[in-house]
Formats: sequence, C-alpha cells, structure tokens
Amino acid sequence: MSSQPNPRTGLDVTIRDVGVRFAASGGDVQALADCSLDIGAGSFTVIIGPNGCGKSTLLRLVAGLLSPASGSVMVDGRVPQPGDGRTGLCFQQPRLVPWRSTVDNVALPLELTGVPVGERIERAARALDRVGLASAARIRPSGLSGGMAQRAALARALIGDPPVLLLDEPFSALDALTRETFNDELQRLWLERRRTVILVTHSVSEAIALADRVVVMTPRPGHVARTVEVDLSRPRPAELLGDPRAAELAVEVRAALGEGHALELQPWAEQDGAA
Amino acid sequence: MRRIGAAIVSLAVFLAVWKLVSVIGGYPVYILPPPEEVVARAARAVGSGILWEHSAVTLLEIVLGFAVGATTAILTGIALGKSVLVERVLSPYIVAAQAVPILALAPLLDIWFGGGLLARVVICALIVFFPIAIATMVGIRSTDPLLAEMLRSLGATNAQRTRLLEVPSALPVIFGGLRVGVTLAVIGAVVAEWAGASTGLGVLINIANQGLFDTPLMFVALATLAVIGLAFYGLVVVVERRLLSH
Repeated sequence: MSSQPNPRTGLDVTIRDVGVRFAASGGDVQALADCSLDIGAGSFTVIIGPNGCGKSTLLRLVAGLLSPASGSVMVDGRVPQPGDGRTGLCFQQPRLVPWRSTVDNVALPLELTGVPVGERIERAARALDRVGLASAARIRPSGLSGGMAQRAALARALIGDPPVLLLDEPFSALDALTRETFNDELQRLWLERRRTVILVTHSVSEAIALADRVVVMTPRPGHVARTVEVDLSRPRPAELLGDPRAAELAVEVRAALGEGHALELQPWAEQDGAA
Repeated sequence: MRRIGAAIVSLAVFLAVWKLVSVIGGYPVYILPPPEEVVARAARAVGSGILWEHSAVTLLEIVLGFAVGATTAILTGIALGKSVLVERVLSPYIVAAQAVPILALAPLLDIWFGGGLLARVVICALIVFFPIAIATMVGIRSTDPLLAEMLRSLGATNAQRTRLLEVPSALPVIFGGLRVGVTLAVIGAVVAEWAGASTGLGVLINIANQGLFDTPLMFVALATLAVIGLAFYGLVVVVERRLLSH
C-alpha cells in the first residue's frame, strides 16, 4: 500500500494557486485563496501568520488529508496521499492513543503498513532513543509530561523515515525552556538528515532560529504575503537571537506580518511570495 | 475483605427484615414464607436434583442468548455508529422492536423458531440486543476526532480505524451496555421459558406457583435467578476490569 521512497534528502513540495473552502455555520469560509509556494527538497521552511490564516490547512494539504478545491499540491510531482510514506505529520497536540504504551504509539505507523511486531517494536525503540525517550517506552501517555508526549509524537512522525516532515505548531503548548531544547533538537535532527521540513508557528523567534526561509501568510483568505530568507549560519544556538542580523530579520518578519493585516483590507494589493 | 464484610452485613439485614415482616404480619407460608422455610425448601430441592435440572437449562439459555445477542448487538452497533445511512435505515426498526413488549411477542417467536432451545435463545438474544447495540453506537460515535484524524494521516484503512481506535475507545461504554444486557439475559431466559418450555427456572416458578402452591419453592427459584444474575454481572465486571486496566 505504501511505497517507501528513501532518498538521501527530502522531496520538493509545490503548492500552486491553491484555494480551499470550508463549510461553516455562517456560510462558507475561504481558508486559502491563490496560495502558491515552492519548497525545495531538503529545505527548512517555517510558515508564520495570524490565527485562521490557513497555516494548518496548508500542512493538511501537503499531508494529503485535504484536497484543494482549486489549484494543485504536489510532493515530488505527485499528489500526496495519507500513508504514502512520503510525509510525516506532527500535530499541535501529541494525539497519542491513551491505551497504548509509548513504544506501541510510536510503532503505530509501522503496524498499519504490516511491519512484523518484532521489527516494529525494535524500530520504535530506536526512534524513541533518538528523541531521548528510551526510558519511557513502557509508560502509557497519561504518565508522560507534555514535552515527553510531544517528543513521542515526533518519534511517531519520524519512524517511517518520511522525506517530508510537517510540523503543526508542535511546541506551542510547551513552556519556553522545553521549547528551546526542542528547537535545538529539531535542528540537530535536521542537520543529521536533510528532510524537507515545513514548520507552522506563531513565534517569530522560533521562525528565525530554525528556518532557511520564513513564509509570512495573510489572514483569511490565506495566501503568501512575503518570504524572508534567513541567511544565518548553522547550527544556530539559542544565544544567536541576540545577533544583530537575527534582530534585523525578526523586524522584517514582523513588518511582513503587519502588512498582512493591512492586506486584509486590500486583497488586491501586490503579493508575490512564491519566489 | 471489607467488601465481603459489607456484603455479609447487607445480606444479614435483608434476612432479618424479611423474618421480621413475616413474624409481625403473621402471613401464611403460601403468601410469605419466612427465610428458614425457604432455606429448608432449597435444601430439599438441591437434594432431589430438581433445582439443578431446571437451573442447568436456564443457564444454557442465558449463556447462549447473551453470547448471540451481545455479538450481533456489538456488530450492529459498530455499523450504526460508523454510518449515518445505516443508522437512518435500521434505527426505526430497532427502536420499534424495543418498544413492542417482548412478553407479547414471545409465544409467536416460540412458534416461528420451532419451540425448542433455539426459540428460547432467540427471545433471550432479542432482549439483550437493544442496550448493547445502543451503547456500542454511542461509544463508537464518541471516538476522539483528533485521534481519528491522526490515524487517517497515517493512511489507516476503515477497518484499521475500527479495530485500532473506534472499538477500543468505545469499550468502556460497550461494557456499560453489557452490564445491563447480562441482567436482561436472565429475564429473557425466563420470558422465553414462559412462552413454551418444559424445564428451566421460569418453568419451575410456574409449577411452584400455579401447580403446587409451593411458595417456598417459588422463592428458591427466584433466589437462584438472582444469584445467577449477580454471578454473570460480576463476571462482566471482572472482564471489564481486566480489559480496561489502563
């Protein structure tokens, strides 16, 4: 059912003129309109924007959970399907199955594709080890802290070794300190193995710390307002955010976010983010 | 230890009140036999073998009726819970069937299904069906949509979603239905026997009550049904605790 492509780097993601509508109680809501974005294989893209700008919708499109009403979404030139082994999605909440132990939760994607039990438990244990959770393998999710649970969710997203990793504000519920270590680890994981990473966040500093490119989105209907290239060297330690260049970039991103709000009133205003 | 103690105290109080009422009221034995009379009658019924003869038949009906009823109810409940179409088509019949008194239908069902053990199992299963099917449907519906989306994002098939998420997360509610269902199975077996049978505790009640005016024997049969009901209920609770130990 799922092919297991395993290229050295990630895959490129192409979002072209995408429109998405949702039926809501007060009539249809246009979540995305004319949204275009090219994401290069192996790049780290951070999508930032106000609430309801369709950031999460964009990730769901790339994961194949949604189909666009208009336009197209392609991963390596093909329409993404859930379970095609090309994307790994990590949600805002850990979404661990409460009656399964941590290791069984992490092994779930392998169970769905029919990997034999011995192999999948072994691989899940290794994935847990990679995110520093080896000791929690036998614990049920109710016994994990918020940070540990989110780590387990990350291990689950990574276990099939997907070339594209999609992260939907996975750290937003964590405290600032845990969040910082998390960002460090994420960067380390990405430097080890250059998957394509698309991270959605609200935090400008998080975006600057992690991204090759920050994509700023406008409020509903969402599309790309501007992209900001982050030309800072890696690895980027937490102190880097005091760096003048980082501060400059942060100002630029904030300005773009502000314009986004202005764009709300002038939807015809110039926008060309999809470099 | 404490639980057993509480149960013994509660039983003692029940017997004491019973005895008190029968002494104060001075009722004849065929209206309200005192507890010691019933115990003595029970000893004779056990000794002569009639209690076991009738109990064995009723036990078999309960076990088969509950097994058949619960299995079909859980499968139907899953279908009802997963498909709005199935629910729209089936639920009027299910609710209507539940609203019709089974006591009135039982003689007819007895004829349709040949009047033997099969007919009694069917009647018992029908009574058991409703609460378990509804509980399963409600349980399946209450699956966490966030977990459902997570499984969908991993490419889980419909069958995988049912097996790995919906049924396990519905289990606590399903067990609520099974607890109600297992006690109804006891009633179902008796109703089925009244519709046409020659052995069983329901038959024994009729013989004792209408044939012999042997009220103590009727009480023995009733007490046996109560004990059977308690035992099966306890069994369901034990299985539930083992399965839902997280």
